[in-house]
Amino acid sequence: MEKILEVKDLELSFHTFAGEVKAIRGVNFDLLKGETLAIVGESGSGKSVTTKSIMRLLPEHSSEFKNGQILFNGKDLTKLTDREMQKIRGKDISMIFQDPMTSLNPTMPIGKQIMEPILKHRNVSKSVAHKEAVDLLRLVGMPKPEARMKQYPHQFSGGQRQRIVIAIALACNPQVLIADEPTTALDVTIQAQILELMKDLQKKINTSIIFITHDLGVVANVADRVAVMYGGKIVEIGTVDEIFYNPQHPYTWGLLSSMPSLDTAEEKLYAIPGTPPDLLSPPKGDAFALRSDYAMKIDLEEVPPFFKVSDTHYAATWLLHPDAPQVDPPLAIRERMKKYPGSRYYEGTEGGTY
Amino acid sequence: MAEKLLEIKNLKQYFNQGKPNEVRAVDDISFDIYKGETLGLVGESGCGKSTTGRTIIRLYDATDGQVIYDGVNVHDKKSKKDLKEFNRKMQMIFQDPYASLNPRMKVLDIIAEGLDIHGLVKNPKERKEKVVELLETVGLNREHADRYAHEFSGGQRQRLGIARALAVNPEFIIADEPISALDVSIQAQVVNLLKELQEEKGLTYLFIAHDLSMVKYISDRIGVMYFGKLVELATAEELYANPMHPYTQSLLSAIPLPDPDYERTRVRKSYDPANHNYQDGEEIAMREVTPGHFVYCSEKELESLRALSSSK
Repeated sequence: MEKILEVKDLELSFHTFAGEVKAIRGVNFDLLKGETLAIVGESGSGKSVTTKSIMRLLPEHSSEFKNGQILFNGKDLTKLTDREMQKIRGKDISMIFQDPMTSLNPTMPIGKQIMEPILKHRNVSKSVAHKEAVDLLRLVGMPKPEARMKQYPHQFSGGQRQRIVIAIALACNPQVLIADEPTTALDVTIQAQILELMKDLQKKINTSIIFITHDLGVVANVADRVAVMYGGKIVEIGTVDEIFYNPQHPYTWGLLSSMPSLDTAEEKLYAIPGTPPDLLSPPKGDAFALRSDYAMKIDLEEVPPFFKVSDTHYAATWLLHPDAPQVDPPLAIRERMKKYPGSRYYEGTEGGTY
Repeated sequence: MAEKLLEIKNLKQYFNQGKPNEVRAVDDISFDIYKGETLGLVGESGCGKSTTGRTIIRLYDATDGQVIYDGVNVHDKKSKKDLKEFNRKMQMIFQDPYASLNPRMKVLDIIAEGLDIHGLVKNPKERKEKVVELLETVGLNREHADRYAHEFSGGQRQRLGIARALAVNPEFIIADEPISALDVSIQAQVVNLLKELQEEKGLTYLFIAHDLSMVKYISDRIGVMYFGKLVELATAEELYANPMHPYTQSLLSAIPLPDPDYERTRVRKSYDPANHNYQDGEEIAMREVTPGHFVYCSEKELESLRALSSSK
């Protein structure tokens, strides 16, 4: 499939009073046309910083691209001037933010806010822009769109505001849509509506979505592929089935087992011990080693490279090295693996490949 | 089950009462909490679940109704002394570990505040020892006592909030979304801690949350709220296996689970209150459909629900 965005060896640091925070430490991924790539990880893992660096929304004076490229249609976004970037931002790549309460301008009618990107990026008259804005509102499922164009954000509920933010993001039919925890601030029922809306719109306009979240349930619902981030790196990437049914990295195991499932009654929840690493002085080797039950000596010394599990599935853990001892993942993970042909725990007719 | 610790009878909390903008945040709800159990309270934001918790602990004065704790109505007029004793027995853990700890106080003083108020320690040495003991109970250590709240991560702060609530040896703790502000991996740590403490100290919890999978995990029984009303109350297993009120069904069908196969087939139900078609004069109330499973419904609905559950 066609690659629309390529992130290569991206490294980014923040300069703070305490020193240099290595927020992203070598991130590689591609975004294919029409797919949804979910990036999961805990706060501080670098998932938001990665996408903000794609949009170039990080403060110029304190952040620094140390290395790497972000290729969009052959152009390296890290090298563009502000002016060039403004032509892309909101037009080819647009973003939906987490908090719909703060990402809208409270002093401006919402119609005007939706018209803004249309007027800025496309050479159309105000009346055309107005008409398109009304259409967009209708598209995102807002009742009585004409009447609501003149209203202000405070006159809408949280779910409606998120719909407006989505309408703004879609105003110029972007090729890439970045959604940074778009449903975290919303209730489950509203969340379900917004997710359905996004999937629906994706089919209609065939945009690619980068979806950032820490809710694995949401990931299972929306994603085609999943990248798991930890300590400023991607530690595992694969299709949604590969990540949920055949995970390889101990961090992915921990993440999946710490979520209670609705059907089983566990005695005790698995909790990943400790806290995320301090990126002021990132740990040597595998950043997760200190919190991992499966850490080996080499994990503390050398950074694991990506090992190939399948054509679409890669994981950065020494456990996949041919010389590594074979370990049994936690029980909850083995249960998941039973469903996946190709895993060595597969319980089915085809038999595993291991 | 065990004896009742808390009886909530016809509790009402109206804001701006009598004015045009009256809000019936909690509208005539009744339920019991048994000794040693965890009662989960779920619902969408604005449904009144937090207000219920806050009214029970008397952060708000109830508009009407009773909260009977160990046989005594909390909302009666009481002497300061009685109230103080009640406050010791009932404690609260708040949602936001950033806003609920005083940034200008040291951890030692934050945790010891309750000890001072209730005169539970005699001298500074004992005070310090007690605080250290509490810190260790929640998985922190001695050195943390002399720090300020901003020096802690979100999960650690929530542990401080728990230590503070435990300081006065309460019997009953209201946990108002204690894990909503935390990361997934940290949520499990805090939930496990709450469970351990419950077993150790025989605590009773009212656990308010909107994350339904976590609620099922920690709760013995769960109440579902919708627009100030309690619409369903049952044991955790029963509620998830056999939700009866259409709102509960819609709520459960909206939760995404970390299982792509399930997600591909999940069908979401929506809830429209108009579908009940209640007639004038019909009395709608909490009725027991099967033992221990209460649903907010009319007599007519009760019959059909009973018929439905006996046919299963």
